[in-house]
Amino acid sequence: MLIYTVKRFFEMIIVFFLFLIISYLLFNAIPGNAFSSLLLNPLLPPETYQRTIELFGLDKPLFERVQLYIINFFKGDFGYSYIYYPRSPIEVIAERLPRTLMLFSIVNVIAFYSGFLVGKVLAWRRGSKSETWITIGSVFSYTVFYPWFALMMLWFFGYKMNWFPLGKFLVPEKWYDSPYSSDEIFYTLILFTTIGSFLLFLVFIFTRNIESLENRRNARIVGLLFLLVLASIYWSNGEASLKRFYAADIAFHMILPTFTVTLVAFAGTALLTRTTMMEVLKDDYILTARAKGLSQKRIRDRHAARTALLPVVTSFIFTIITIIDGSVLTESIFSWPGMGQLILEAVTREDIPLAMASFSFIGILALIAHFIADVSYAFLDPRIRVKADT
Amino acid sequence: MENEKLDRDIRATIKKNWRLFKQSRLGMTGLGIVVFFGFLSILQPMLFLTGIWDEGIYHPVVGYDAEKVDRTIVECPKQYPTKEYQQEGDCPRVDEVNIRYLKAFNIEGEVGEIYESNLQPAPPSSRHILGTDSLGRDIFSQIMEGSQVAFVLGLISAIIGVGISTLLGTAAAFYGGVLDTYLMRQSDLVLMLPTLPFLFIISAFAELQIWHLAVVLGTIGGLGGSVITVKSQALQVKVKPFVDSARITGGSKRRIMFAHILPNVAPLALLFMVFSVTGAIASESVLSFLGLLNIDMSWGIMIYLAQAEGFIFTGLKYWWLILPAGLSVTLLAGGFYLVGRGLDDVFNPRLRRR
Repeated sequence: MLIYTVKRFFEMIIVFFLFLIISYLLFNAIPGNAFSSLLLNPLLPPETYQRTIELFGLDKPLFERVQLYIINFFKGDFGYSYIYYPRSPIEVIAERLPRTLMLFSIVNVIAFYSGFLVGKVLAWRRGSKSETWITIGSVFSYTVFYPWFALMMLWFFGYKMNWFPLGKFLVPEKWYDSPYSSDEIFYTLILFTTIGSFLLFLVFIFTRNIESLENRRNARIVGLLFLLVLASIYWSNGEASLKRFYAADIAFHMILPTFTVTLVAFAGTALLTRTTMMEVLKDDYILTARAKGLSQKRIRDRHAARTALLPVVTSFIFTIITIIDGSVLTESIFSWPGMGQLILEAVTREDIPLAMASFSFIGILALIAHFIADVSYAFLDPRIRVKADT
Repeated sequence: MENEKLDRDIRATIKKNWRLFKQSRLGMTGLGIVVFFGFLSILQPMLFLTGIWDEGIYHPVVGYDAEKVDRTIVECPKQYPTKEYQQEGDCPRVDEVNIRYLKAFNIEGEVGEIYESNLQPAPPSSRHILGTDSLGRDIFSQIMEGSQVAFVLGLISAIIGVGISTLLGTAAAFYGGVLDTYLMRQSDLVLMLPTLPFLFIISAFAELQIWHLAVVLGTIGGLGGSVITVKSQALQVKVKPFVDSARITGGSKRRIMFAHILPNVAPLALLFMVFSVTGAIASESVLSFLGLLNIDMSWGIMIYLAQAEGFIFTGLKYWWLILPAGLSVTLLAGGFYLVGRGLDDVFNPRLRRR
């Protein structure tokens, strides 16, 4: 297992270098360069253009430039962003990245869990009328044209019903005399959510081995209530009670995007779970379990769903990469200032340093997700684990 | 003689599979949707050729048709409420026009007279089944044009993608070794590439036409994760007894690969093809929704226009600008997805009910 992980790790590093080189060549293929506009100025002597090019090292041969790019990448030096001039791309990304990660990790957890539950029930009720309708519904939300759907949601819940704000990250009026910056508040929010979900995860892990299904459910509800009480104590004491007002503003703006993306994202998991569950239900050991006289719910949750979980988990980790794609659309529709909006803005306004930096960062994210997917797949699937060890 | 027998075998297999496919209700629904849109995309050139539709009026991009409406000229009061109007928003009514607007455009007219104006976007009527957009172009014709774009793009990219992934996947499984390692790392790299930002960058320096996009999408799809899946399927076929017996009887490597392994991977490849059409249609719509493609008309552009001109937030008042395009993308993508599900039932015996 360890050998396999180390081997994958080194392969990933090679792939990453290839990715860096390809992304440089890609941007290099864009006609003209950042200083082509200088040529348009008739008052500027041609030597000035030449000197600028030399100053920025653009006259060097391609190989040398790629080398320089990779060296500078590991120094964290991307130059300056054109749009956000005094700031470097790294600073801009450091501000934007947490927002994307926060929004989409929440979405993912909810979508995965609800999708798995729905898919489980769907496969179990195969052939019934409710199964057909829910399947059609999930196919609709799986294949729906996402920007259109998001705009319709925004129109209905934001404009018609007026329940939620129309996009954006916060309401500026509320923040005029705020003692905190929005980033500070947001980091508090991230910390809170991370710890909260970790505790929730612990509750689920500890109640996993309770034999009776009913007791297990009750124990989980008690744990959830306990966590809610803890959360309310946290937000009503000390410094957090001052931040509460601002944190609520950001959280309020997150509700509609989260809900919309979850609706779209859960369907993929649900449909995949349905298929794998159906395959599993054909297996002999399910028949054995039935013959033993176990209750239906027990067969479904303990015998079938456990086995069906494996391919779903791995495909879920793979979809983390597609989240980055989705984030571009979600963020530009809901005006959520994250990575996706940043890269769209950088590309359309030809801010090449920023575009390169954000493209590489997205690559790193995808790389990490991919690595985790591979290793966890090997860990979860004993066939690969055994093959890798021998 | 042998050829005839082979023909009969193939025909029998197709017949059997069709019977199995017909059992899946979702698959048949999907097929119905796909056939419907296919019909729409053929119908439009037919209508133009036979002269039933005039190109000047019904052309999806440059056509123009004005719907005339008569409006009474009124002068809006300065203070509300008056006897006729309760609030400021009530004047002018739907069938009235404020004289101030006419004066602003130097149009002659007196209060109480009838003024004939063009109504754009016009609601659905017998002339325009789905109404016209804000430039007086027929929406139904645009939907037909959009389905042509979607079919061309989806099918080209799916064929390219499936061709690449089947060949590479089978080769990786069959030859193994260095080729296998290289191909797997390559698909890692492609999987890692964030598709949409990558397409943004390409669209930044190239004027993307439909077929460019189809080739790019097909290549990305073909080199990515599907190679891995095809490879794992081919590995399962490779260890079957008939491959061994082919080798023992002296079949060359290439012959074994093309005659024995490829046909057994083909159903999976077909499945991929159907699913990748869904992805290609969605990608095209997203790119043209963001205004990054060099296409005259497509479903994505229709939604882009509706959003850019501010009709999205008018809700259902201008429903013909918003609903048909969005639903078409959804339905066609969903249709291909359902066909794929139906095929899955056919080729994957473990999913069959009996």
